[in-house]
Amino acid sequence: MKTSIIWFLLFVVPCALNAQTKLKVVTTLNYLKYIVEEVGGDRVEVIALANPKQDPHYVTPTPRMNEITHGADLFIENGLSLDLWAKNVLDASGNPRIQRGTPGHLVATSNVPLRELPSEISRSWGDIHPQGNPHCWLDPLNVQIIARNIGERLAEIDPHNAARYSEQTTAFVERISSLLFGERLLKTIGPKAGDILTRKVKSGTLFEWLRERNLLGLLDGWMAQAADHWGMKVVSYHKTYVYFASRFGLNIIGELEEKPGIPPPPQRRDAIVEQVVANQVRVILNYNFYSREAADYVASKTGARVVITYIDVGASEEIPTYEALISYLLRHIMNP
Amino acid sequence: MNIRRHTLRAFLCLCSIAPSALGQQEEIVQLKAELAAIRTSLDSLRSLLRPQSFGNDPVELLEERLEQRLSQLEQKITAISSSTAPIVFNPRTTAFINMAARVDSRSVLDEEGATEISNRPFLRGLELDFRAAVDPYAEAVAIVALENEAGEGYAIEPEEVYGLIKRIPILESAPGGVKMKLGRFRAPFGVNNKLHLHDMPWVTRPLIVSKYLGTEHGDFFESGYNPVGLDMDFFLPSVIPGVTLEMNADIVGGGALGLARSSTSRPGFLGHITASRDWQNEHLLVAGLSGYTESGRDAPRLVGADVLYRWVPSERRASNSLVIGAEIFQGRTNLFDSSGSVTRSTVTGWYGYLQYQLSYAWYVGARYDWVEEPEAPSTVTRALSLYASYYTTEFLRIRAGIERRHSALPDPASLTTALFEVNFVFGSHPTEPYWVNR
Repeated sequence: MKTSIIWFLLFVVPCALNAQTKLKVVTTLNYLKYIVEEVGGDRVEVIALANPKQDPHYVTPTPRMNEITHGADLFIENGLSLDLWAKNVLDASGNPRIQRGTPGHLVATSNVPLRELPSEISRSWGDIHPQGNPHCWLDPLNVQIIARNIGERLAEIDPHNAARYSEQTTAFVERISSLLFGERLLKTIGPKAGDILTRKVKSGTLFEWLRERNLLGLLDGWMAQAADHWGMKVVSYHKTYVYFASRFGLNIIGELEEKPGIPPPPQRRDAIVEQVVANQVRVILNYNFYSREAADYVASKTGARVVITYIDVGASEEIPTYEALISYLLRHIMNP
Repeated sequence: MNIRRHTLRAFLCLCSIAPSALGQQEEIVQLKAELAAIRTSLDSLRSLLRPQSFGNDPVELLEERLEQRLSQLEQKITAISSSTAPIVFNPRTTAFINMAARVDSRSVLDEEGATEISNRPFLRGLELDFRAAVDPYAEAVAIVALENEAGEGYAIEPEEVYGLIKRIPILESAPGGVKMKLGRFRAPFGVNNKLHLHDMPWVTRPLIVSKYLGTEHGDFFESGYNPVGLDMDFFLPSVIPGVTLEMNADIVGGGALGLARSSTSRPGFLGHITASRDWQNEHLLVAGLSGYTESGRDAPRLVGADVLYRWVPSERRASNSLVIGAEIFQGRTNLFDSSGSVTRSTVTGWYGYLQYQLSYAWYVGARYDWVEEPEAPSTVTRALSLYASYYTTEFLRIRAGIERRHSALPDPASLTTALFEVNFVFGSHPTEPYWVNR
């Protein structure tokens, strides 16, 4: 009897405890937290460091962030010089498991095709990102890549649950495909529909390809919403919606900022007014964390509409999920 | 037949550029041209597809493979474009140029009483900051300063030069997340001493920092305490939810503290404990206690307390923010009289400040200093300064201020000074910690 109890204590209890231990994941941004929760399910416990209402470029690392990160098994950052402050947090965390170069550290945007890679890197161009525009998660196709990156890394550091992470990653990726193209179209095309349509979208031949096969009528979801407004001209405050615009057919004719990260001076506002009038732009995108002053000025001179937009999950009660974020943007930009 | 020919061309192109994508920067243009050729081939291929086909069509599958390969090559081009091997291992480098000028109501000498510093412009310093990972276990930081010697030339100073051990090979995880800093560093006594001259929200150092922690030429020039030693930084368990407790424990070479009147070879011991809490990254409250001692009966002792409150709204952060802070130091000094006997005395000093951000570019603030002079403990110097800062970006700051100082010391009794400062930052410029408030 005693021997049985000892065996039980030595092996069964630790195994049971181990099985219930969740992976502690810390992310810099909230959209990453959301994806980790979707991919990791009940096997992960996730905390995002940034307030989703904040400008992700300018988060100040605090002791609380350092302490939270001290206990993490996995640290995930966006990278691409957006959340540069992550370096301070990693250094101050005193957690060797999540330092760069270890399996416990992941730059989520690895392998994402990037835009606006600068040909010249100089501060005279403003706050440019040497590795390309970092706001790539606003393209759902890129979020699928990010989700796969996260799923693979979770499986690597927690191989016991690898199959579950793989399943949940697939489910998330398929859900995004379904929201992009609509369930009916995916079912009609068949098992590889997501991959095929993704390729068509990337090569810019989706609508033509569907038309040739008499499938355009089945297109639903975000792409169908965007199709009705393809080529719509907008002005944006910062180069945040480059990926979103490319995916959903927005034509960004200019930014209020003359150079990234530098508020528009008065002469810039007047130049934008001229552009807005000449191009008959009806919408100005202004993010929640930037001053509205310049956008309101341009709107007052042109009659264009200022749309307050968000870039992170949880920045508003209306956008508790990534799916809600994209839906919100499409709804407010394209369907006033 | 056409499909085969186009497919063959596309594959031949892909095979030929795969090795070259690993080559040098100058090949990128050629790679892009070849990619364009592949895309043309692919487009031709697409035009030949049967309109109703999708799914398992072999041509569709071939197109998929070609697209995947194209994507891989594009990523390689991105990688080559964004960095080249010879430079990526170089340290990140930042340079700070700090220039200041003063206009005084009367003649002013530097701390040593040797040089007149009133009514003059100064290149106060040039600081070069190098930092890089040493290996998977450590990082190194070297901040070398060219400091102004009160207008009498310049001195090269290793302002901070240290290695930061982040991980010990034999330990999976260090207890309390301890980080070890070994070398010369600005000691974590209070908050202001950790800041470099160019990071301060004012033109001059607070008087308690220059007079109690150390200065060569006075508070207008770089001051503070940066000994050689070992700093251990670790978390402490907190009993209050949401409150983070952190401690620095240092062993340093003694005798370098400003209050010490003679250089010794005794070790000094320094501790700093902070309790902090933040609310949604909008409100941050930090309170700290510091202590310094050396062994020996005649050694100086110094204790301090600091508090910092910051409000930075999440939305429209570029428009408004508020910082309020204060520090108080109390030190025991050893005064030697003409007979050589030691008289112990206690001195106290403090400063408080407030800074408000009016817009993206404009900040205004005030600081009040009250300090008992270490040389004459019963005499007090008071100073009130008002200032305005203008930032074109975080890399260029222009500041103007005015300070009214009154001292019970006979010279100078009272002084009004107009202060001007321009600060340039260029290079990689790492993210600033929370105690830097522009």
